[in-house]
Amino acid sequence: MNRKTAPIHPGPALLGGLACLGLAAVIYRFWAGIGAVSNLTDGHPWGFWVAIDILAGVALAAGGFVTAGLVYIFGGKRFAELARPAVLTAFLGYVMFVLGLIVDMGRPWHMLYIFVGNHNSPLYEIGWCAALYTLVLALELLPPVFEKYSMDRAQRLWRSLSPWLVIVLLSIFTLAMTYSWIWLAIVAGLLLAWEILMRKGVMGRQRQTPILLIASGVMLSFLHQSSLGSLYLMTAHSLNPLWHSPLLPIMFLISAIAAGMAMVALESLAGERFLGHKAPFSPLVDMARIVPVFLIIYLAMKAGDILAYGDWRRLFIPNVQSVMWWVEMGAGVVAPLVLYLTPGFVRKKSGLAAASGLVVCGLIINRVNVAVIGLQVQRWQSYYPHPLEVLITLGIISAGVLTYAWASANLPIHPRK
Amino acid sequence: MKALLMDTTLCVACRGCQVACKQWNRLDAEQTSFFHGGGYQNPAHRSTQTWNLITFNEVENGRGMDWVFGRRQCNHCLEPACVTACPVGALTKTAEGPVHYDESRCIGCRYCQVVCPFNAPRFEWNDPNPEIRKCTMCADRIAVGSEPACSQSCTTKALIFGDREELLSLAKERIAKSPNRYVSHVYGEKEAGGACVLYLAKAPFEKMGFATGLPDKPFSSEVKTAMAAIPFAITGSALALGALYWVINRRLESYKENSEDES
Repeated sequence: MNRKTAPIHPGPALLGGLACLGLAAVIYRFWAGIGAVSNLTDGHPWGFWVAIDILAGVALAAGGFVTAGLVYIFGGKRFAELARPAVLTAFLGYVMFVLGLIVDMGRPWHMLYIFVGNHNSPLYEIGWCAALYTLVLALELLPPVFEKYSMDRAQRLWRSLSPWLVIVLLSIFTLAMTYSWIWLAIVAGLLLAWEILMRKGVMGRQRQTPILLIASGVMLSFLHQSSLGSLYLMTAHSLNPLWHSPLLPIMFLISAIAAGMAMVALESLAGERFLGHKAPFSPLVDMARIVPVFLIIYLAMKAGDILAYGDWRRLFIPNVQSVMWWVEMGAGVVAPLVLYLTPGFVRKKSGLAAASGLVVCGLIINRVNVAVIGLQVQRWQSYYPHPLEVLITLGIISAGVLTYAWASANLPIHPRK
Repeated sequence: MKALLMDTTLCVACRGCQVACKQWNRLDAEQTSFFHGGGYQNPAHRSTQTWNLITFNEVENGRGMDWVFGRRQCNHCLEPACVTACPVGALTKTAEGPVHYDESRCIGCRYCQVVCPFNAPRFEWNDPNPEIRKCTMCADRIAVGSEPACSQSCTTKALIFGDREELLSLAKERIAKSPNRYVSHVYGEKEAGGACVLYLAKAPFEKMGFATGLPDKPFSSEVKTAMAAIPFAITGSALALGALYWVINRRLESYKENSEDES
């Protein structure tokens, strides 16, 4: 990479501008209060930020754990080239999510209390889990840094120490979730057994990557991706039954897995187009064979839920909610499913981009539906996001995209040409 | 456990309880105006500065329009959704009844507002250091053996304070004695698991703007099930991932050995 004095391109300039404007809006928000930059009210206390920054952002970052899990645990060596970009996106996704959270929280300076909080709350679980997973992602992202600066000793240290660190972190996490020493002992024992069996050579061991680190990423992701759905279990009074379901946690997890993989394809193709590194196309096509499996599971769950609870009549009441449900399920689940299953369609770059794009859009629409459109509170006017709410989110995303471009240009993230 | 019983048929809407609430809790006056929603209801909504609000409702009773007065405050649920929701434990249910808010732990996430079926918690939207504000049931007064400011100020004894069990049987007694005077329902006995603020009324509660159609079981029950599954999910996923890793890698290795033998 010997690019010298690159001219200022319109894309980065636009993103940089948005990031700066977003930062200005954030400063104003901390000076004047959340009400000054948002249309949130006591009737609609959660809106655009929760839907986009938190629910959609975390779900779209699921590509990190799915790809890493496929490569290192499920023996999918053919996906290896996709792992580093996916982990980078996931890490940046979580950093953006934390930034969004700090803006959305009224009193972020108290946020560390979440670690000594109330273990009945799904939000407590999400706080713990997201913090630990961000740390795990940072650890997973270290090898490119080690390689770039030839830090062999640090890399050896990383290989030998991170499994033990993971065992400690997951044990503390289990204790925090259950307040039970017995559960701590069970989880710690299991993980220790796994690590020791690998070291003794009973279970195969991969020399390059600490398997427990990857496994912990998968476990933590399972938990908090589903807990984001659990958040809305307690909204039976306000969330439209088209979306409210006791299965919400599992629906959130399954849709995040599908959309996470679609996002890996989409960002890989976008990177080829805008950042000039080659997209490893054949593993992407292989991955595109897994996505429809999860779309079918998701579709079956949604259909079963609607039929079992007898809410299907609501689908034919003409209102915003039913229309948005059809858009979400039609354009975001059924249409891409048909595209994925059409022979040869996703073997073309344009086809893969279209199918993946629809899945990603469908996920975003679903999270907006759950967090904003499906939530109706008596006696309160409908909520529409304030322009500054949108600007702050765009600013955070722009900063994330710029960081991604910088990291891909400066670290060995993508396969060399 | 202490509670409040509001017999709305005795209320004359003097709003003395609103004033008493503001005085005791040192809440600011608000710019108000009549007929901006709710007719004489004033102010139109609860807010960070109005925790207790008498509502004015016009209800068709078969012979004409009836003017019935309701009331809104934090219901101090027996198993509050907000307490389960609060990630930092800033909201707690006390043994005496009040749901207590501790601003020194609050992170301002507003999840309590999202889950409260009675829309009780209010947020200081235009404050850079915002707090959640809601009725405290005058826990400070209860602690010294007194009663909440609202019930003490009530001149018609529409609002009375006492033991929850005693108030509940009193409410049922009143319904039984004069079935024509009341709808046969004590609001707050079972709604979302029951509450420490109970209501009697002559008009159906949904026509008085109360949140109705709530399940009898607490809102927190489904969440508690989901949260109880977490240790099983951790253990199960660790076992499943470990087993799959073991099996798949052994197969891959034996496959590798076989193909090496052949070559």
